[in-house]
Amino acid sequence: MIKEQHRAEKKAKRRGEIVRTALKLFAEKGFYATTIPEMARDLKMSVGNLYNYFSSKEILAQEIIREISAYLGARIREVNEAELSVREKIRRIVTIYFETARDEPEMIDFFLRVYLSNREVFHEGCEGMICVNEFVTEIMIFFDDGVASGALKNQDFFSAFGLFMGYLGGMVFLNGENILPRALEEYVDDISENIYNALKVS
Amino acid sequence: MRLLWLSALACNGNAHALLNYPHFEEWQEDFEWLYHPLLPSTHAFVEVEEGIEGVEILIVDGTLEEGLVKNRLVYNELLARYAAEAKCIVTVGTCATFGGIFAQGGEGRSGLHFSKERRHGRFDDFWEKTVSLPGCPVQPEVLAGTLSMLRLGEPLPLDALHRPKYFYAYTVHDGCTRNEYFEYKIDEHRFGALEGCMFYEHGCQGTFTHGSCNKILWNGVHSKTRAGTPCMGCTEPDFPRETLWRTSKHMGIPARMPLGVPRRAYLSLAGIAKAFRIERFERPMMEDERG
Amino acid sequence: MAEVRLELIEKIEGEAQVRYFYEEERVDFAEILFVTGRGIEKILEGRDPWDALTINPRVCGICGHAHLIATVRALEDCYTDLKLSPKARKVRELTLAFELLQNHFKWFYLTILPLLDLEAPRRSVLEPSRILGEMIALLAGQYPHNSYAIPGGITCEITPVDLHGVRQRHRHLQKLFRRGVIDVDLEAFVRCDRIEAMLKREGDLPRAMQRILDRGWERLGRSCDRFIVFGHNDLFVAGKSIGTRLQKHLDLRYLRESSIEGSRARRVLYREKSYETGPLARAMLLKTPLTKEAHRRYGDSLFSRILARVCEIPRLLRYTEALIASIDLSESAWIDPGPLPEEAEGTGIVEAARGSLIHRLQIKEGKIARYRIVTPTQWNLGNGSREEPGVAQSALIGLHREDPAELVFKAFDVCSVCTTK
Ligand code: SF4
Ligand code: SF4
Repeated sequence: MIKEQHRAEKKAKRRGEIVRTALKLFAEKGFYATTIPEMARDLKMSVGNLYNYFSSKEILAQEIIREISAYLGARIREVNEAELSVREKIRRIVTIYFETARDEPEMIDFFLRVYLSNREVFHEGCEGMICVNEFVTEIMIFFDDGVASGALKNQDFFSAFGLFMGYLGGMVFLNGENILPRALEEYVDDISENIYNALKVS
Repeated sequence: MRLLWLSALACNGNAHALLNYPHFEEWQEDFEWLYHPLLPSTHAFVEVEEGIEGVEILIVDGTLEEGLVKNRLVYNELLARYAAEAKCIVTVGTCATFGGIFAQGGEGRSGLHFSKERRHGRFDDFWEKTVSLPGCPVQPEVLAGTLSMLRLGEPLPLDALHRPKYFYAYTVHDGCTRNEYFEYKIDEHRFGALEGCMFYEHGCQGTFTHGSCNKILWNGVHSKTRAGTPCMGCTEPDFPRETLWRTSKHMGIPARMPLGVPRRAYLSLAGIAKAFRIERFERPMMEDERG
Repeated sequence: MAEVRLELIEKIEGEAQVRYFYEEERVDFAEILFVTGRGIEKILEGRDPWDALTINPRVCGICGHAHLIATVRALEDCYTDLKLSPKARKVRELTLAFELLQNHFKWFYLTILPLLDLEAPRRSVLEPSRILGEMIALLAGQYPHNSYAIPGGITCEITPVDLHGVRQRHRHLQKLFRRGVIDVDLEAFVRCDRIEAMLKREGDLPRAMQRILDRGWERLGRSCDRFIVFGHNDLFVAGKSIGTRLQKHLDLRYLRESSIEGSRARRVLYREKSYETGPLARAMLLKTPLTKEAHRRYGDSLFSRILARVCEIPRLLRYTEALIASIDLSESAWIDPGPLPEEAEGTGIVEAARGSLIHRLQIKEGKIARYRIVTPTQWNLGNGSREEPGVAQSALIGLHREDPAELVFKAFDVCSVCTTK
């Protein structure tokens, strides 16, 4: 019993390491330039063994996006469930996004450089928004609450979603290219205010 | 069993609907109408006002109004008199139960125990012996079935609003022929078509309305939603809501969720279902599966 | 010595009170009062115009479908270029005609026969009523209180299977009519113009009419002898007729509504005169042979009124049979008319079981600003003055104490709930 549990734990740990390593490589070099042997080398495991965990590079990439979505979704869910004004919630979501870009830059890089750029990788298994479901669901709930409370304008979901996420993605991109004169965190207040103004009821 | 049917502000739709009950003639043999607004009855209304004996079940129909006089007496007093005597009270229709449409047409109007979902307490003494049969109108099978079960003394489990669970534990959505379009989140719906679900655009309240419309079927043959008309939620305390033919949405997300379904669960499932393009739901039902 | 007596008339989709003023043994004047009202028109104000499709059928539990059709016509009248497929138009005509049929059966069996002390098995009314309900439901989802007619058509697609169900029931209904009401060939009966020929047949209609004759009531209930019909289709023609003098042109601008003291009903006049509406009026405009003959003999009496109404059944049966046969299922059920204009006015007219029903609405800033309903019973039962009494009032005035006042009254088929809305 105990032995079995131990083995499962070990396996899960190994799996996590694979995901993390793959994430780093994908984010750095892109999906196609990264190879399974390279990953295996970094992980100090055999190619064959790695395939025991993930049967293809595509499946691995899909797993990564799902984990990123779950990670962001869980953090935004905390915001959604807190008793806060819509304005404050926007600030928190922006903060979460930028913190993630700072502390886990590969996550956001992966999202922008792989998930959004190599759509063909995600066609089978990640149709529509399935693999980012948790994240999108929380954003939907945020919007829904906002409209229900009378704070946000009732509009098309994608117009609002694009405005919010496009803006944040753009800022992270500029930051990554070292174009921003100030640190990303210093933009939180302005950006939150802009988003709020763009989404609130007129 | 002796029944007394009293109507306040009503359209008589409940009484007419009951006539459509397929076994009405045989069913009626078990009952005597002390008074009924359409059918031959033992007493005239004037006699009911003067006072009659032997009421076993009091059927309350129509929206009540403070101070309403139908002939000589204040109707609510008449009601209270027979309510005290009756073994059981049945509110038929949404008007008598929650106030319904006509409650919006004047002051001091309500159902017997409720103003929409709020208990107003004016007839609280009778609450324990009241069975609520909302619907606009109530399905004849629901009314006839309830009265028969009461007569036979069969158990009739009630929900918190005193609606018999056998009829109201279902949602109108149960049994709708458009269910697959709901499940797979096909949100296009055009009127005049067999296909499509009206939850997303056209205000269908089937998923959060208690009732057996798609289980028993109306007139034994059909239902609103099967016939492409959105469910208007006519059995619910807040009937009639505003803007009934359009789904109210927050940034594209329906403002009301299916009964008891948390929004997060709904949205997660919806996200998944929407990811798939299922060919069958994109072409007319009557077209061949292949080619 | 004048004597005043107040009577409650019940089982008329609600109640009404009649205050009789007797002079000697005769009714010198009568007032018809409706004491309860629900305020439907007010409930509609401020709502989305489409909500009227849901609310209005609930005006009445017996003729709610006519209110739906009047509503959809009023809404459609707000558009400038709305298209309606012949299929949608025909299906609506059908369900409306089915309701007329059902109402006629119910009225004859539940209201009239008991007042003539005649009995008929309960199923004579239950069976046709139930079957007609099923026929409407097959096309419209349910009965009573559906909302399947919407601007641009109907909500549902009709399949041949639905239509088959309607057709089978139609055959059943014809059989019931011949077995119960009168045993005749429908085609021949519609052309029949001899009262005696009708009386010789088997059935509840000849029994009822014979009973009226036996009791010497055939001339009772005569009124103003003015008739009006606003709706027209392939079965009815619009116009007015004074006695048998016909005039086809009508203009709604001459219609005037006024409130009545002590009653929740409003009276309606056309060019300041009261007119009778309903099956007798429709028959007078069409000059249908048997009713014309009854009118020639007995005037606009209860005999003519009852006969005219029951004689509409075979005409409706033939009309609906032809309609069913002519429906082309390949046409669209609904043609999207686009959104309703933000500012508009519309009128919808329907021949309901009891006569012309008129809905008028005004839309402002996309909401209902004003909604007005004129029901058939308002024409027939509206109260007037001694100088210009209403239709039913005139029919009651002059009755002897021993005369069947209730029958005279109910021959108009009073619908209390419709009158006060
Ligand atoms: S139309 Fe209404 S009842 Fe039918 S499946 Fe859709 S939501 Fe359910
Ligand atoms: S489908 Fe909905 S609106 Fe229609 S009768 Fe049933 S509960 Fe009422």
